[in-house]
Parts: sequence; C-alpha cells; structure tokens
Amino acid sequence: MALSSNVRGNNANATVAQRLQKELMDLMLHPTPGVSAFPSDENMSTWTATIEGPDNTPYSDLTFKLTFDFPANYPYAPPVVLFKTPVYHPNVDFSGRICLDILKDKWSAVYNIGTVLLSLQSLLGEPNNSSPLNGQAAELWDKDPAEYKRLVLARHKAPEELDG
Amino acid sequence: MTTEEELAHLQKLSSEYEPEATGPLVGERQSSAAITTQYANADPIYRVKTAALPAKYAYFRTCRGDGHCGWRAIAFTYFEALLRVGDASKFGQEEARLMSLGNLLDHIGYSHDIWIDFAESAFELLRKLQLSIEHMDGAAETILLDTFNDEGESMSIITYVKLLASAWVQTHADDFRHFVPMGDVKAYCGNNIEPTQCEADNIGIAALTEALVKPAGFGLEVWYLDRSPGEEINRSFYSESTDHHQMPIQNAPMLRLLYRPGHYDILYKAGDVPQPQQQPLSAQPPLQVHLASSFDDFTPTASNVADVMTMIPGMYNPSGFGQRWASLSYDFSASPASQPQAAPVQPYPTALTPVTPASNSSLDFIIPSHSSHGSQYNTPAHHDLHLDQPPITLPIHPPPPPPVSIDRTAPLTVERGGPFRPSMYELEPGFGSVMQVQPFQTSIFRNSHYNTAHFLNPDFQPEEWSPDGEYSGHKGRHKSHSS
Repeated sequence: MALSSNVRGNNANATVAQRLQKELMDLMLHPTPGVSAFPSDENMSTWTATIEGPDNTPYSDLTFKLTFDFPANYPYAPPVVLFKTPVYHPNVDFSGRICLDILKDKWSAVYNIGTVLLSLQSLLGEPNNSSPLNGQAAELWDKDPAEYKRLVLARHKAPEELDG
Repeated sequence: MTTEEELAHLQKLSSEYEPEATGPLVGERQSSAAITTQYANADPIYRVKTAALPAKYAYFRTCRGDGHCGWRAIAFTYFEALLRVGDASKFGQEEARLMSLGNLLDHIGYSHDIWIDFAESAFELLRKLQLSIEHMDGAAETILLDTFNDEGESMSIITYVKLLASAWVQTHADDFRHFVPMGDVKAYCGNNIEPTQCEADNIGIAALTEALVKPAGFGLEVWYLDRSPGEEINRSFYSESTDHHQMPIQNAPMLRLLYRPGHYDILYKAGDVPQPQQQPLSAQPPLQVHLASSFDDFTPTASNVADVMTMIPGMYNPSGFGQRWASLSYDFSASPASQPQAAPVQPYPTALTPVTPASNSSLDFIIPSHSSHGSQYNTPAHHDLHLDQPPITLPIHPPPPPPVSIDRTAPLTVERGGPFRPSMYELEPGFGSVMQVQPFQTSIFRNSHYNTAHFLNPDFQPEEWSPDGEYSGHKGRHKSHSS
C-alpha cells in the first residue's frame, strides 16, 4: 500500500483533534443544561464530563463525573466512557463501566459527546433492566424504590470527595 | 464468574470472532478468472458458477471485508462511474446536487457541523477528480484508488453515504415502512444503517441507489454468488437509471457489485473498463492530430488510442499500487503462457494414482496415449497417417477404460502446444501440489515407470509391433526417446 501506517496514524490523529475541537466549540457555544464536558489533556484525547441526575428519579440533585477516552479512529469507533463517581445503577458496574448499546455496537459516527451525555442522563432515569450489570439494582428498581434510593445515596460521592 | 458463565463467555467470544480483514481497502482491478481459481477446489456449484463468471464479467476489484465493504463498493463505483463519463462539469453538478441533499440530513436531525465533515471528504474527492480530468493528467484513477485506500478518507466518505441512505429512508418513510420491523423507519436506521459497524443491507442499498446512484444517471446491480442451484450467478438487486420521464437511459454506466454471503466486491464487464482511460486522451486534440498524421493506416479514434495504451506494459496500471495484492491469482491471468507447461506436470499425481493398481488396463490405454504423443516426433511423412488412424490400435487391445478415453483429448492439445517434452525428472517441482484446472492428464504417463511399457516397471511389457499398422516404425523410434 502506498501509505505507511505511520502517515495514516498522523492523519487520523489530526482528524480526531479537528473533530473534537469542533465538538468543544459546539459545547461552549450551545451549552446543554445538565451536562458539561471539557478536555483534560492537551491533545484532547481524554475528556472529563459531568451530568446532573434527572429530576424525579433517585438520582435527582446528584452530580456524576465521567471520563471520555477517544480512540485514534474516533468518530468511527466510540469513546470509552466511565463513571468516575460511584453509581448504583442496573447498567453500571462497580468500576464505573457502562452497558449502553450506543457506546458499543450501535455507535454511529454522527453521535458526539453531547448526545452521549444526554443518553447517559436518560439512562439514569430509565435503566435497561433486561440486561443488567448490577442484578440487585435491577431487582430493587421495581420492587423496593425506597431501598433503591437509599443504596444510590449510600454509594454516591460528591465530586469534591473524589480524588481524581 | 461461575464455570457456566465462563463457558458462555468463551462461546460468545468464539461465535463473535472474525478473522482480521486483510488486503487493500479497495484493490486493483484484476481479471475475474482469479475468482474462478479461488473456487477451483470448492463445491461444484461454486465451480460451475465461477467458471461462467469471467465470460460475462471480465474484471473485478476486491473490497476489504471489514464490515463496510458494501457501502465502500457502492461509493467507489459511483466515483468510478463519474470518471467513466469523463465530463469534468459532471463533478461540479454532482457536488451541487449532493450539497442540496444536505437539507435531508439537516431535516432528520443530524448536526450540520458533524455531517458536513463527512460530506466534505466526498466533495473534496469530486473536486480532485474534476481537476484531474480538466488537466488531463491521467491521475484520476490513482487519486480515486488512493483516496479509498486512506482509512480516514474512505471512512468519512462511507459515513457520508450511509447518512445519505439513512436520511433517504427516513424522509421517504412511506416507501420503506412496510419493509422494516414495526414500520419504525427511524429505529431501523438507528440500528441498521447509522451504526459505524453495520454492513449494507437491501434497504440501505435501495435507499442509497435512490439518493446517490440513480440521480447521477447510473444504474446499480448486485450479483449474488452462493450455493443455490444454478449455472450462473443470480442478480439480487437491479436498478436502472431513468430520465425525467421515468424512461430507462440507454447505455448509462452500470455499477456492478458481486455479493457473496457477508461480503461485497466490485464487478466489471469488459466494456466497462477501457473507457476511463480514454477520457483524458480523447479530450486532447493535439495528440489526436499528431497521431493521425503519423500513422496512415491508423484511425486515431479515442477508443483506438485507449486500446494502444492498454497494450503498452505498465501504461495500463500507472500507479503499480496493487502489486502486493496481485499475488497468485494475478499471475494466473496475466501469464496464461505458463499454463500449458504447468498443466501436464501438476495434475500428474491425481490422474495417476487410481490407475496404478490395474497394471493391465494401464497397458491398454498407454497405446493411444503413446501414439498421439509420438506424432510430435514423427517424420512429416508419417505424421498425417498416424494422426488419422489411432483407432487401429484399439482392435488389438481391449478398449480403454472410460475415464481414460475422456482424458486423452486434453493432453493432445497441451502437448502439441510446444516443443517441451516432459520426462519423469520434471515431475518434482509440481509434485504433490493439486491444481484442479485440468485434472486429467495422461500424456506424460508413458514416461513413467508406472507404465508397463517403461523398462523400470516391474511388469515390464515391451510394446509390440503390429503387423497391420504403420506404427511399427515410429514406435521403435519413440521408445528410444522415452528410455
């Protein structure tokens, strides 16, 4: 092939940075209430984001911190998104990994940081209990909302309590 | 994790495993005889279908099977068809038309900032190709192939055409509603067209044809190669280009895909191919005039020029881009001359093995084989007689076993092709390799010690003079050749 992988790699990184630059601009110019995101390193490949728990859910008034890690072939592959704030939720495991189709096989290059954050926000209020990572949470969601809420609050930590 | 979960996990991994796709994203155009070769050892249905393929579709081009090949094949052939049209202004028209399709993308809610990046890759390629056509630098084909082999560029263009397809489905929901689950076209697009990892399905192809291919004045057909009964590949999708009155456009470029379950490649008819090369030349009056004055008996039409160009080694493929990919299959088509040499040697083991135990029958059929072979070394006087009278041996010996009598015809043509006379020592290079193209070759058998007429055979039985034939003379002569 005429192109060495090195050249292609650089091209790819330039494209990723360009695209993320654009996304940053968009987030700054059109801030969405309840979500925010900002690059956490200079080459823009990792970002830190926050989402507010949606109203009328066990997560209301709580703020959650997340990290985005962008692969070199972004946006043709999804970012790796992790909850940094401990979350008690059927589709989030204890290390903050998230089970959400658009972050896996249903990822599309038209999604961006904003759409991912909004999807995660709605996932908090509408868990997918058919394929839970946290089986107990899935069970309690319907059975015992009060106990569920207690466990959510017990697990949650305010952003300033986190070390990262 | 319990053992059961682990097993389930391993099972999932193994069923989801796909070998890493290799090869160029879009390969060099090559003879479709390579497909025939690829299936030479496959199921008979594949063999029959692929054997019939090169006669109709002389060339093909591979697309890397990385889950994007269908989209990639359509996008690539779309640009290639524009080159085939060769009208520089067409590129500008297409850019304007695609730009206006941006309304669709905006309408169904894609962020303009995001989709425009993907669209720009396609527009940029249109502009580059237009410049190349205008400047007649002959680089257009190379630009196209290089762009599609750049991972980032090609993914961007693929994403763009997928968004076009998705937007088309969603804005023409009535046309597609009955073909998607629950009639929910938006959900269908979100699950089956928009995701990065999803191969083109019928709905996607139909939508992209309507959005991209047909309005450009092109047709699209998909040919399906599978194990269904039949002697040729089947057409599984067809769309004709139509004019404003819904009438088919005559001689419109046709994009052709070859579909094998799970994978798309690109097909060409022989007539599809030379035109892209003639375009830069046909638009170059000084060159034509010059040629006309130089060659009296040469009519310098555009197609002539192109034909001449393709005959010059190296001109056909200026980039030399696909050298690595060419490998075996390429050789097969490029140098047919090597085949007559290889054919008598390589099939030897397969043809011979079943015969070995029956030494008597092998003696029987040796005679025709011998005599036909001997004709090559005859004096001209005997030559004709000998060729005309092979049946004379048959009354003397029992009739040859049926499979062998079929075999006899093939080696005749091969052996007469050249002065090459195989001997038992020439077997080694191809020995053990099984090439099924001409599986039955017996002409060299007479040089083998499995032949009872060979002095090394344990059941050695010299060939006998036959009183009522003219064969006596050359048989004796021939024996000295073989031993």
